[in-house]
Amino acid sequence: MIEYFSKVFRGAWATVAGMMVTLKYMVKPSVTVHYPTEKLVPFERFRGALLFDPGTCISCNLCVKACPSTCITLENATIPDPKNPAIKKKVAKVDWYTIDFGKCNFCRLCEESCPTKPKSVWHSLDYEVVFFSRDEMVRCWKAGTKFVGQYWDRKEKAFKDPEGQIQIQDVQARR
Amino acid sequence: MSEPAKEKEAVPAATPANVVPAGAAAAPAAAAGTVAPKPAPKAAAKPLPTPVFNERHGKLILNSRYWPTELWKSPWSLPSYRKGALVLFGLIAGILLTGAAVGELSRWADKLYALIAAFVAARHWPAVTTDAVWDLIKILIVLHVVLINGLWAIWWERKISAHIQSRVGPTYAGGWHGWAQTLLDGVKLLLKEDITPTAADKWVHALAPAIVVAPVIIAFAPVTFGKQLAAANLDMGVLYIFAFAGISVIGVIMAGWASGNKYSLLGGLRASAQLVSYELPRGFSIVPVLMFAGSLNLSTIADAQAGYWHGLPRWFIFYPVIGPLAFVIFLIASVAETNRTPFDIPEAESELVSGFHTEYSGMKWSIFFLAEYGYVLLASFLLATFFLGGGASPFAFDHVIPSWIWMLGKAMLMMFTFLWIRWTFPRLRADQLMDFNWKFLLPWSFANIAFAGLFLLFR
Amino acid sequence: MNKGAMAPDQEQDTPLKSDSMFINLGPQHPSTHGVLRVGLTIDGEMITKAVPDVGYLHRGTSKLAEVRGYHHCVVLTDRWDYVSAMPNNLVFCLAAERLMGLNVPPRGDVLRVLMCELNRIASHLLFFGTYGIDIGAFTPFLYAFREREMILDLFEMVSGARLTYNYIRLGGVMVDVTDEWVAKCREFIEYFKPRLDEYDTLLTYNPIFMARTEKVGLIPPQTAVNWGLSGPNLRGSGVNYDVRKADPYCGYEQYDFEIPLGKTGSCWDRYFCRVSEMRQSVRIVLQALDKLAPGPVMAPGVAKVPKPQPGEAYAHVEGARGDLGIFLVSDGQASPYRMHVKAPSFMNLAILQELLVGNKVSDVIAILGSTDIVLGEVDR
Repeated sequence: MIEYFSKVFRGAWATVAGMMVTLKYMVKPSVTVHYPTEKLVPFERFRGALLFDPGTCISCNLCVKACPSTCITLENATIPDPKNPAIKKKVAKVDWYTIDFGKCNFCRLCEESCPTKPKSVWHSLDYEVVFFSRDEMVRCWKAGTKFVGQYWDRKEKAFKDPEGQIQIQDVQARR
Repeated sequence: MSEPAKEKEAVPAATPANVVPAGAAAAPAAAAGTVAPKPAPKAAAKPLPTPVFNERHGKLILNSRYWPTELWKSPWSLPSYRKGALVLFGLIAGILLTGAAVGELSRWADKLYALIAAFVAARHWPAVTTDAVWDLIKILIVLHVVLINGLWAIWWERKISAHIQSRVGPTYAGGWHGWAQTLLDGVKLLLKEDITPTAADKWVHALAPAIVVAPVIIAFAPVTFGKQLAAANLDMGVLYIFAFAGISVIGVIMAGWASGNKYSLLGGLRASAQLVSYELPRGFSIVPVLMFAGSLNLSTIADAQAGYWHGLPRWFIFYPVIGPLAFVIFLIASVAETNRTPFDIPEAESELVSGFHTEYSGMKWSIFFLAEYGYVLLASFLLATFFLGGGASPFAFDHVIPSWIWMLGKAMLMMFTFLWIRWTFPRLRADQLMDFNWKFLLPWSFANIAFAGLFLLFR
Repeated sequence: MNKGAMAPDQEQDTPLKSDSMFINLGPQHPSTHGVLRVGLTIDGEMITKAVPDVGYLHRGTSKLAEVRGYHHCVVLTDRWDYVSAMPNNLVFCLAAERLMGLNVPPRGDVLRVLMCELNRIASHLLFFGTYGIDIGAFTPFLYAFREREMILDLFEMVSGARLTYNYIRLGGVMVDVTDEWVAKCREFIEYFKPRLDEYDTLLTYNPIFMARTEKVGLIPPQTAVNWGLSGPNLRGSGVNYDVRKADPYCGYEQYDFEIPLGKTGSCWDRYFCRVSEMRQSVRIVLQALDKLAPGPVMAPGVAKVPKPQPGEAYAHVEGARGDLGIFLVSDGQASPYRMHVKAPSFMNLAILQELLVGNKVSDVIAILGSTDIVLGEVDR
């Protein structure tokens, strides 16, 4: 009998205690971040979308080798050999550079392997990496385009600026 | 890979320096923490584009600022918190003042009735027209109580559940705290495609929502919304409500069976067992109330609780042992009747994927919710009438606030309890639910009747 | 009802054509924690047969590792048990370091322990929340995620990622933590301790929760050992086996902590083991924070493209889900010749076919949730 009532009492007490916990949090301020109207600034080490700076790149291919998912490809710039114009000579400059964000792991290995200072390829703080098509995922840099901003549209056979989304070159650089 | 370790990067400090407001000229200050230890670049690096976060939609906030440790340190220093409290206080004060200004609604109802009667008399229409129009008005009011309650209760549930869970719930639709959320959801549901699965029994599938929702509207007829304020002042009101509320279970079983889905069928089966079982303690728990009041009329029951003992209202819940016990049993059974957590096994989200309304979409689906919240409101009003004195004021000195405000307030308090229970507890298992009903609630409701008999005998 | 959905093998099992029904639990069911499919044969509400079907999330990381460098493999490990990726990183690094003969500096070891324990808390918080949802309580889920978010912020501060950290590297860790991070971590721990008591009030000792999970899904110790369970699932049955004590790594022998054990092997015991482990992890985190002495975090001379001597190495750690082991074979090339993963979730999943039979449909969810599997680790 006593056991029965103590069991009922304990059950009821635990129930009421649980309800008090939820009531306590109801009157506390919420921890929600109203995402589109309020945006969190990531910490400085945040690994967002990759950025690339052709100005410092020496075309050493280390980032290509460091990438676990082979999402980076690049091509050395060449100049004609002054002695023999038929032979193209490689120089420590990059001709074109692409990053396939469809494959990117955001693992920071490319940034760590980059030997230049400041880094030629590095993670920005951009976490709003959105794409409307697979073509858009492959961002290119080529002479004349700025940073890794454009993509190659396979249908129209032209470089295009991504539209309707944040452009990754507009994001705070961290390198 | 030893390079990064040697590099000894500066800490990712969440200092204001990290935040770059939109349109800031350049990043040197922001990136100073990282860049400082590094040697100057050999080649003159191309200047980076202006480092700007996309501020298209709104402001940036620091990463650390939403940590609960920061937020809960002094909640009153948060402007939104102060504003919310002020708005809440203002709303309650406004409702009380409005109530005091309007006065008893039954007075207005009498005036309206007299007006209609005068109008009918002036036109020399038959006298029965007055009652016909009056009944039509009452029917429309009851219908709209259920419909508007659906809008209100769902919004309220979303807000309450959100705040219980440290969230905020709907905030955008309509502007002020997302007040229009359910309205717009309703519009969306109306526009949605009405899907009937191929495996379904089409007629039964379509009929089920109607059978679920019709009884709840009918059952609202004798509910008193205040002093002398009921659509139908029935002498057997309690019986009437219980009789009609029991019909909905047929619709639930039909929905489960006709969907042609195994999960739905399981949900329907569970619902039938649960609803039929919990009718019993729910009915027996109010027998003591009926014994004290001596009537099945809801108005009489409410009036029987008028008066005060030394300032304490003579509400039934304050009767020693019997009152609270009956209240708790009725509350638990009502929660079970409305298929809400912890008794929501018919629509257990994680087990049965919403149970009997899995295969419903659009307005048919929302009608189930209309019925569910209608029953919640019904149970809230019944709780307020049976145990909380109906429209009686809790204070002996209060003669200003009319009875309908108190009634509404008590009903809303009960509704909040429903929501509060739902968002706190886990779900019982089907057999435990039955155990709890047959081995705990039912015996105690019987015992309570005996207690009440003894109390009346030796009073 | 729908005869087309009857499993072909089901009809042989019920020659009398009784009212048994075949239902697919998953892969799109809300409570299977990923893409697990369990073929359930039920008789009323009673399970008569359960067949877990895995492979929906198979990504072939073992095979991938054979064509990737050792540094790349660490990235692959992040994707196994994605809710606690730090122990995955750690176990691969331990095995590879054994192959290469690398010695991790003390600060690196302490940081590894720190991160793994924080990640264990995060993982158990996720379990706590989702188990609450399985049982029907929605609110603890949000509370657990509120706290887990803080841990993820700590990880973001230190490694830059919130889920796939790639923080523990061959020879040490990626970068050092700073005093500010340590202060933040202490702040979190101070905040977190009282929350654990609230969780107990809300779920652990809630009568409904206890009724749902006690005496349900009992695993006797012998059965647990026979099925090769590990982690809290094994300890819930009362078998005292924890890699941190049995085969210490990263200096776990220097830390003072207990191994919480269950009594009966019920769902509640497994749950309670995890909640108690969170308390123990808090203790370890505090000790590790005190232990942090200045020094390097990375061993010197880690090759950019390591080519270890031919040989094999096995390392195992106590991940959030159990004994996570890696068997690495090197043939002297830049990528492993073979990488075998002994994933605890896979072992823990296997027992379901025996455990579920004879239980009710509602209990299936309770049992499935209590084994705390992560399908990324089951399928790899």
